[in-house]
Amino acid sequence: MNEVSLGFIFIDSLLINNFVLSVFLGICPFIGVSNKLSTAWRMGVSVIFVIVVSSVLAYGTNSLLIAMHAEYLRIITYIVIIASTVQLVEMFIKKTSPALFRALGIYLPLITTNCAVLGVALFQTARNYSFAQSVVFALGSSMGFTLALVIMSIIRERLELSDIPNLAKGTALVLMIAGTLSLAFMGFAGMGG
Amino acid sequence: MGHDHGATVSPSENMEAFLNGLWKQNPVFVQVLGTCPTMAITNSARNAVAMGLATLFVLVFSNMLISMVRRLVQKQVRIATYILIIATFVTMVDYIIKAVSIDVYKALGPFIALIVVNCIILGRAEAFAGKNPVWQSILDGFGMGIGFFIALFCLGSVREILGAGTLFGFSLFGSNFQPWVLFLLPSGGFFTLASWLLVFAWWKERGKAKEAQA
Amino acid sequence: MNTTAPRADMPPSSALIKLMGVVSLICGLLIVTTHQQTLAPIRHNQEIILSETVAELLPGAKKQVSYGVDASGNLSIVEGAEFAGPRLFAGYDAYGGLIGVVIEGGERGYADVIRAMFAYSPQKKAIVGFKVTELKETPGLGDKISSDKKFLSNFKDLDASLEHPIVTVKSGTKKNRWEVDAISGATISSRAVGRLLQKSTKEMIPVIQRNLQRIERGN
Repeated sequence: MNEVSLGFIFIDSLLINNFVLSVFLGICPFIGVSNKLSTAWRMGVSVIFVIVVSSVLAYGTNSLLIAMHAEYLRIITYIVIIASTVQLVEMFIKKTSPALFRALGIYLPLITTNCAVLGVALFQTARNYSFAQSVVFALGSSMGFTLALVIMSIIRERLELSDIPNLAKGTALVLMIAGTLSLAFMGFAGMGG
Repeated sequence: MGHDHGATVSPSENMEAFLNGLWKQNPVFVQVLGTCPTMAITNSARNAVAMGLATLFVLVFSNMLISMVRRLVQKQVRIATYILIIATFVTMVDYIIKAVSIDVYKALGPFIALIVVNCIILGRAEAFAGKNPVWQSILDGFGMGIGFFIALFCLGSVREILGAGTLFGFSLFGSNFQPWVLFLLPSGGFFTLASWLLVFAWWKERGKAKEAQA
Repeated sequence: MNTTAPRADMPPSSALIKLMGVVSLICGLLIVTTHQQTLAPIRHNQEIILSETVAELLPGAKKQVSYGVDASGNLSIVEGAEFAGPRLFAGYDAYGGLIGVVIEGGERGYADVIRAMFAYSPQKKAIVGFKVTELKETPGLGDKISSDKKFLSNFKDLDASLEHPIVTVKSGTKKNRWEVDAISGATISSRAVGRLLQKSTKEMIPVIQRNLQRIERGN
């Protein structure tokens, strides 16, 4: 059991150790999906959902694995859990909102290989979080991911009309902005302390 | 990647499978894949080397096994099969690193397990190993793995030299050097990778300009 | 992800199950073999790191005994690296005399949780050594708590009699033996160290005092 308070875990995973800007998880979708605010928003919300559900499932599975002394199966079971959660979310969205499903398109299955999802499951295990701590951590970090994604997409929409050297267009520019954002987010360190 | 390899394979094609990943299709600098581990653990050259070797191991062996079973795998379950195989080798490398050095294991932490979701590996399984003979798939894994390794090392060494004034823990500039701590911080990872991408883009542009002149 | 595969050429599910079975079998064999082969060296490595840290904190210790502490404060001898709960490590000189006890602690710092081990001497009722075992503080600032010589000299003889709780004070204003002089520019991390010591001494020193005779005998 870890002694850290829930409020600190939330602020820590949302701002101080933001998954994208300081732990470097979920960079691929962060670069790939951040060019439009509307898609970024949708992607963010589905990631929050997937992360929270898979975190809860991972917590249960981990207790089971420990009880069975089969910790060596952890990585495999986690990835299977995530893949099935994504599949589930996909079916759910397809049924409830076909428009959203079309809008998310290719990004939905891609969440499986979003390292932020597996990252949450692995970090909560490595840090011995309790159930409540795990859920708060999953919420905080997935919202942190969405926050970074949305900020980036707003900046990129503004940049669309500006004059940028051809060389720097695309990923290099996004990374530069991300670096600056990451520097800004460092200002949150020490909060809740 | 687009060409269809026949049953007979010439040595030059083997070489091509190997060199492709090293330079022309470098996973990090050209394809911009696997960026998460690239930046997360490259604040020192040692961590970069350890991560590069771990990924190389997984890439080569998963490519090999996937290529061996490729004729048995039905299209519908291929992704599941690939992920299962990749996760197996990642678990193995996780234990091996822990057995070799606890220090390295602590420094890399959950990022070893996160090799599973490194897009490079699943990407190679899907684009190459699932369609090509074993020997070539191994070479492809080596090429991509070493390409990834070089990229990690480029980032890790730059960040360690500028951010701490050391390389592999050895002091380079003497005690008067004021380290540029920014490069050890997360933002330094973003800036360093961005700069390398710019260097590569510039290189390509220059090559194209030369060709146009000639 | 091929979600658009036509249903018509779906192979019989028995074939799919057979395939997954074979692949899982290979994977399972590989994982279990590696797990068993690496079990001994991993445990060995962990033991070595633990005992090296304890030896560093208690110079001259020739023999070490690890105790696990249960919820009601009772001790039991454990294999140091395997026990998951709170632990104490006692170090003894060549004649079997108790040199000191190493206590573990954790506290959140500036960026993440800081973990540390420190040596407590029951004779002096003081902390006589301190080592950070895990930290992710800002390089160049907060991470000085693990290397700054002046800061570490705080822990050569720090009053831990529990009459005054251990506190961190502003850089350069240490007056009493129970105060920790902060590093300027790394106040939050220094304060975290103070809180870490305060908390773990309050928890563990009564346990050590109560079981002192047993720890001195080393059983």
